[in-house]
Amino acid sequence: MTGFLLFLSLSLAACVLAFVVPGHWTTRVSSVMGSFAAAALVYSGIVSFFFHSWSLNLWNLQGWGLLEVGEPRLPAFFVVVTGLVFLPVSWFSPEYLKRLQPRYDLRYFVLIYHALMMAIALTFLARDVITFLLAWEIMSVASYLAVNFEHLQESHTQAGYTMLGASEAGFLLTLGAWLPLIAVSHSIDFSAIQAASARHHFPLSLGWAVMLCSFFGFGVKAGLFPSMSWLPRAHPAAPANFSAILSGVILNLGIYGIIEINGVLWPIHNPSEGLLIVVIGSVTALIGILYASTENHLKRMLAHSSIENMGLITIALGATFTFRAAHLPELAWIAGIAALYQILNHSLYKSLLFLGAGAIDAGTGDLEMDRLGGLARRMPWTSAAMLAGVMAISALPPFNGFISEWLIIQSLLRSVVLKPTIDQVIFAFSGVIVALTAGLAATAFIKLYGMIFLGPGRSAASENAHEAGYGPRWAMGSLALLCLILGVTPTYVVTGLSPLAAQLAGGGVLGGLIPPFFSPRHLPRSLGQTFGPLGAEVGHHLLPGPGLVFLYQSPGPSPNVVFASSPSYLAVAMGIFLALSYLALRIVKKHQRVVRHEPWQGGVRQLPADAHYTATGFSNPIVVIFQAILRPYRPVEHEQFLASHFHSAVQREVRESYVVDRLVFYPAATVVQSIAGVLARIHHGKINVYIAYALITLLAVISLSLWVFP
Amino acid sequence: MLWFRKGLDQPVRTLTPKTSSTLHGLSPGRPAPTPSRDAAPEDVCPTHALKEHDGVMDVDYTQCIQCRLCRQQSLKNKMNWEEGFHWAQMTSTSLPDAFHHSVHVRVVDAGDCGACLNELHQLASPVYSLHRLGIAFTPAPREADVLVVTGPVTVSMKETLEEAFQSMPTPKRVMAVGTCALSGGIFSSSFAVAGPVDRVIPVDIAIPGCPPPPLALLDGFRLIMGARPENPLDGRVRK
Amino acid sequence: MTEKTLEHILEQHEEMAVTVEPNWIRIAAPASRLPELASQLAPEWAFAGIVPENDPKTQSLRLLYVFYARNGPWVGIEVRNHDQSIPTISNILFAADWQEREMEDLFDVQFEGHPQLGDFVLHDSHWPEGTAPMKRHSWEIRQKTTESRNLSTPRIVEASGSFVMPIGPIFSGTQEAIQFGLETVGEEIVFAHIRPFYKYRAVEKLLEGQTPSVALLIAERIDGLTAFSHSLAMAQAFETLAGAPVPPRVRLLRVFWAEIERIRSHMQVLAGILESTGLSVPANLIQALEEDLLQLSGALTGHRYLFGLVRPGGLSRDWSDTEIENIVDRLGTILEPSQRILDALTFDNSFLDRLEAVGTLSLESASTHCLVGPVARASGINRDLRVWQPYQAYDQITFDVPVQAEGDGYARFRQLCQEIVQSYRIVQQIPPLLPAALSQTEDFGITQAGTALGYAESPAGAVICCVSANSRGMVERCRVITPGLVNWHAFPQSVRHFAFQDFPIILATFGLSVADLDR
Ligand code: SF4
Ligand code: SF4
Repeated sequence: MTGFLLFLSLSLAACVLAFVVPGHWTTRVSSVMGSFAAAALVYSGIVSFFFHSWSLNLWNLQGWGLLEVGEPRLPAFFVVVTGLVFLPVSWFSPEYLKRLQPRYDLRYFVLIYHALMMAIALTFLARDVITFLLAWEIMSVASYLAVNFEHLQESHTQAGYTMLGASEAGFLLTLGAWLPLIAVSHSIDFSAIQAASARHHFPLSLGWAVMLCSFFGFGVKAGLFPSMSWLPRAHPAAPANFSAILSGVILNLGIYGIIEINGVLWPIHNPSEGLLIVVIGSVTALIGILYASTENHLKRMLAHSSIENMGLITIALGATFTFRAAHLPELAWIAGIAALYQILNHSLYKSLLFLGAGAIDAGTGDLEMDRLGGLARRMPWTSAAMLAGVMAISALPPFNGFISEWLIIQSLLRSVVLKPTIDQVIFAFSGVIVALTAGLAATAFIKLYGMIFLGPGRSAASENAHEAGYGPRWAMGSLALLCLILGVTPTYVVTGLSPLAAQLAGGGVLGGLIPPFFSPRHLPRSLGQTFGPLGAEVGHHLLPGPGLVFLYQSPGPSPNVVFASSPSYLAVAMGIFLALSYLALRIVKKHQRVVRHEPWQGGVRQLPADAHYTATGFSNPIVVIFQAILRPYRPVEHEQFLASHFHSAVQREVRESYVVDRLVFYPAATVVQSIAGVLARIHHGKINVYIAYALITLLAVISLSLWVFP
Repeated sequence: MLWFRKGLDQPVRTLTPKTSSTLHGLSPGRPAPTPSRDAAPEDVCPTHALKEHDGVMDVDYTQCIQCRLCRQQSLKNKMNWEEGFHWAQMTSTSLPDAFHHSVHVRVVDAGDCGACLNELHQLASPVYSLHRLGIAFTPAPREADVLVVTGPVTVSMKETLEEAFQSMPTPKRVMAVGTCALSGGIFSSSFAVAGPVDRVIPVDIAIPGCPPPPLALLDGFRLIMGARPENPLDGRVRK
Repeated sequence: MTEKTLEHILEQHEEMAVTVEPNWIRIAAPASRLPELASQLAPEWAFAGIVPENDPKTQSLRLLYVFYARNGPWVGIEVRNHDQSIPTISNILFAADWQEREMEDLFDVQFEGHPQLGDFVLHDSHWPEGTAPMKRHSWEIRQKTTESRNLSTPRIVEASGSFVMPIGPIFSGTQEAIQFGLETVGEEIVFAHIRPFYKYRAVEKLLEGQTPSVALLIAERIDGLTAFSHSLAMAQAFETLAGAPVPPRVRLLRVFWAEIERIRSHMQVLAGILESTGLSVPANLIQALEEDLLQLSGALTGHRYLFGLVRPGGLSRDWSDTEIENIVDRLGTILEPSQRILDALTFDNSFLDRLEAVGTLSLESASTHCLVGPVARASGINRDLRVWQPYQAYDQITFDVPVQAEGDGYARFRQLCQEIVQSYRIVQQIPPLLPAALSQTEDFGITQAGTALGYAESPAGAVICCVSANSRGMVERCRVITPGLVNWHAFPQSVRHFAFQDFPIILATFGLSVADLDR
């Protein structure tokens, strides 16, 4: 509670101060206040998550119930994530905003920034429907203003509208979930709804209706299939620091909504509903990563990758709900851990990458990968931080992405215990898609890092890039560090997330797990015998903490290793290995002279800049392979000739349309239009025809009323 | 797989010291120093390879293009002809021990007519099968120990040749193959030829001939590898 | 047919002076009428090339546009270059493109309307534009020392993210030096540039002032792998100049060795194709057979590549009838396994997949490039000098000229296989035809100044050689139009829209020699 109040007062103070202090202080004051506010948010969240939650009544709405805010575990988790993103973004902003200074009034930026932070916090903390919806609307408007901050650019304004429109459409759809909940529980209070759902059995159709409305409604905000096309439009428009928040926090709001309704307030009882979520998640992930692999605009590419990550989170959530509905709490728990872990990870590395994109934009003025290159030499700090982010998002150890993706795949592979074969098949397919996604993500981010930071500069802008200042460096560095920490200490993170996951899974099962390898505690004897020969207890006296992530013991007689990995010790081993190889190289190379020479280029001394691989070239094989989805990516070629035989130009135009637009929205629009066309045929514009219509209607009404009320 | 089996069905084609007892067609031979009174006159030679010396008509092999004009039927006196293929000459003082077991070779065509290159290519055929002797062609000079240069170095190839040489790691050696590479041969007076290889990069092994037959090339490779057996096809001989 | 057309064309241009020589018609045309004449000839005549020659009266440079047709006379259009530009015909006959660029670089002749003159034969980084080395009569040619630091190809492709993939001049294995710039957006070659003449040895300049005997030695070193055909083409020009008939035995033996060279050269190309498709077992087997042929040549002629075999007026040695019989027998034993291997390949799906519909060159494209040799015949152009303009003893021999229609890599592969069969058929016919005694023209000499044409169908296509000699029998000017010069021009066209991994395969199926192009 103190943390939350501190946060509120700091944010409000920041808004006031922005208009009080002299102009050149505005952003710096906002940065300081913002970082303290974010820290307060993290503090508040941690306290409520681990120790005791609080609640606060705001208003008593006659006949409806109390308006209240509070911080149980689930919101607390999201609040921590929000704070962890806002904190570095606050450090990052002042320098980044400098370039907007001449054209925009930054005091409004401060206002929007803090209003957005408060609205987001409030949305998470709302404990009743009315507060939630109010906060949600404020958040929507604030985020629209944020995306549209550089409103002098036409395209940005459009992107802002698209986002606002999508957000409102989703909002209306979620009402379809809230209203039945309010109706059955006769209350707007979350706890009352939860209690009601636990007490009664409701018809299956109602469950489906709530689930569909909430999932697809909040899915708009989370960027899930089929409503994700606003996302890649909004991101390039927003300033980079807002992009970080958009990806790192606002998408989470959608996920939060889905979990809150389907996992807490109205837990899913029907495995099929969970399966639908898994399927939608898989489709989202695949589409997201395919477009991310082929997109060459840095921010748009990151936006597509956010879609992919939201898909992964959704898969894990769907798995949680399915396992829970199938009464497999252990597996549900593991999938839940995976989902929460992935949410945390994605917020961190994606905001890191967006901040990096901001630094690159500020340093070069360009975000097209085809034109960037060689920035590792000019922007070493940004490059190092981005490397960490890229490794994390490509799920490479020792960074955090590896663990959550590994957990997701593992939990999907456990589908063998599910009863109907169809469920198994769906899980297996999602597993395949997640694996494919991971592979494509690695390709996509190798492209990102390779094209932007390595090789020669492909344009004057990238040749003359300048490194970011201290604020952004700290911001990116701390996020990179967090990614690393979360990657090497999963045993602690998992233990921390366990209570919340247990809540979602419908039962705590941390005890049902085999104690970690290498832990100071001994293994149970039976397990010690099984795993001893594998080195299970090696060094358990020496090493400080638990190293292994999971073992799952099946209920059967023999201990059954489901999956096990020890990222902490893997990281240690990697470190040792690297150090040893370095030493070995030093020894071997001691007497060798190193001669440096330009790379071999077929005998030509220096090739022109356009003789180097581009991002387009790198992703071309993916375009070719996934032609079916990325279609119509087909190039249209025009050739121009001089003197009838000499080519003077071969122009290639690539026309593409987003697969979702093509398959969902354009057909829908066509249907609507054709219906309108049919209706339009009735409008002949002749007065006697209209009179005839009127007469027919009158007759119809009279006969109907005679028939109904004889 | 199918071809693998078909390949096994074929007889072994590889020349060995035993099977190659006759040089019939393996080497064209070359003019040998001949007592002047029996020798063809100096001016027969299109590349001025014949020089009289103390009563002996000497042949400058870096110039001789084996045109056989000095032994044509219409001449009264002809040059003697020697069979054989031990033509490789070491022109540098030392060859590193590092090459004793295996060498990697990058071939640079600096204006070759195609025949020298084809003889090098022929080395990889089963008949000569140079891989069994520890010699391999590499695609880039970066991995090469030996740079083989063929052809008179043309003006346009000069820098490229320098670049290839500079790109090689040390220790490195250069082998000039063919009369063109040694002196420019018949192209030496062309304005588009920058000169023999040693005017551009240092040459360690010179193999004359136009083109030198594969056996002469192998002889050169064996020389680089520190062994010069009686027959370069003999894989076992070590220094 | 051809003659009728020619008469018809000449009727339309009555004002032009026409000289009729045996098998040879020269039309002296004003430069402005050249495009018109060229477009009238284009449907039936193949464009051979542009030959520079000295006007015997004024000693000024004039250009001779050479055309040839099946069973018709050779046609040359004389165009005087009064230091003014000549209209380009490359817009009518694309084949003239490289020829004109070459003339511009070497003789400083300007072609009006040609969009891409300069920096071709003489790389501009070494020789400043306007050096024109062939125009001068001195060896002192200006040279720059600037480093060529760039792939100086203009970019053609306009697409976001497109880039150039540079290849060469030094690339894979024992490849000859040539450079390509493949413009692409990733997988597919959208446009291909070619930058030849890294190996330019100025052979045509070198030939000036040489005796016929040395000139032949130089000619065979233009392209070592088809040396015999090159020296044969040039020897014929000398023999025409000398006016001395070549003994029938020599004529037959020349055909004999030319066909053996064709078989060997085709084998080498086939081995290259197999290697490029990754089938190393058959590639090695064919290569070993090629080595057999080399050894056969080496043992019987004293040179594995038949260098020094053609002498003006004859051959450098003769063979007894039994020797010839033995060669034919030996050839049979070499070809028999090769035939088995090549037949087996036509059933190898993975091999066919890589060749079929790959590197396709349409008949239309092949005709506008006026292609020659197996490449042209694989695209459906039945063009073969041995039949069109029989030389040496080809008129005494029956053989077929195989032609394919598809123009793809597999068509070129089949073409080579079928030509080997035909060549063996020719070789087999020769021993019975050989007259007994050999009468070599020992004292060969040219006493009259003049210009003569010599030509031969080399394994890669038509080699056309135009020699002007002075009265002392020395070469004054010489132009060698090689199949490489003609066929390489079409190569970039054929790789367009194919993937990178097809590039080496297409390159191998063309079987072109860079030395032949660069000269
Ligand atoms: S073979 Fe030819 S080049 Fe060699 S010495 Fe004799 S004449 Fe001269
Ligand atoms: S030495 Fe002879 S074979 Fe070798 S490149 Fe020179 S001319 Fe050709």
